[in-house]
Amino acid sequence: MKIVFTPDWFLNNDLLIEVVSFFVLITFFFLAIKGYKINKKKSLLYLGVGFLLVALGELATILTKIVLYYDTTITREIGQTIITYQVVKTVDIFYNIGFFFQKILTLLGFYLIYKIPSKKIVSGDSLLVFNLIVIVALLGSAWYFTYHITALLIIFLIINNYYKTYVKEKISNQKILIAAFGLLALSQIIFLFSQIDYFYVIAQSMQLISYITLFALVVKILKNGKKT
Amino acid sequence: MEIMHDILKIVQERGGEIKKTHLMYKANLSHNQMKLYLADLMKNDLLENKTSGKKQTIGITKNGRNFSIKYAQVKEFEKTFGL
Repeated sequence: MKIVFTPDWFLNNDLLIEVVSFFVLITFFFLAIKGYKINKKKSLLYLGVGFLLVALGELATILTKIVLYYDTTITREIGQTIITYQVVKTVDIFYNIGFFFQKILTLLGFYLIYKIPSKKIVSGDSLLVFNLIVIVALLGSAWYFTYHITALLIIFLIINNYYKTYVKEKISNQKILIAAFGLLALSQIIFLFSQIDYFYVIAQSMQLISYITLFALVVKILKNGKKT
Repeated sequence: MEIMHDILKIVQERGGEIKKTHLMYKANLSHNQMKLYLADLMKNDLLENKTSGKKQTIGITKNGRNFSIKYAQVKEFEKTFGL
């Protein structure tokens, strides 16, 4: 079973894309928390936590890929530990755990961002959703498309929320936000075909453009704030 | 919080200094409300009393200007996400 679909010639570039994504997501987290500190609005706190979870998902990918690509001492140490405990699948377990955290954190983060407009963030069906997300993350290593389809659906729901707000308020920033999440959704569709080398690269590039768009939005928000 | 930001904005729009009575009129607040908000803003070092001769005014501090920018950025952020 293939752990990552990155073509050899793209190995360092995808790591760089994950790093950029992580920094953009963490910037959103800090902005939201800064806002929460000022006006104590719970929705800002939830948005911050949502972005933090997705950022930590990216961090899990970065750390796992670093070990996977550069075969550092951690791999060897973990390999030895695993051998000591006579676990059959040796280092693969480490990678699967790393990517499991990436999947579960990303899905939980996006789900939290989707739930923000709801009156109750934690409702009766939250446990069921959490359970489903855990299952998807567990299955994600063997059937990668389950993860991408779930992520795609949640991102669509987020876009739907932002679109409704845009129809009501017609704020230009919301158009950028919808475009960024739209690109992210598109990248998830392309990831479904990531067994073909070029599709994986296109999907990663699409993800990068999406996060750069989000970063441009941060810059615009900060600039507009200074003007007012 | 919104009212406090409005007060800071009014002072800033007047070049960083304004007479108390003008501020009260511009912010559309009663004397008592005004007193409470001003006390809070001064306690947090966002506004300060200024005296030049007989003229007494309210001035915005550096902290006040920074806070005003941060608050506007947060508002913009909230609007973007429809919060």
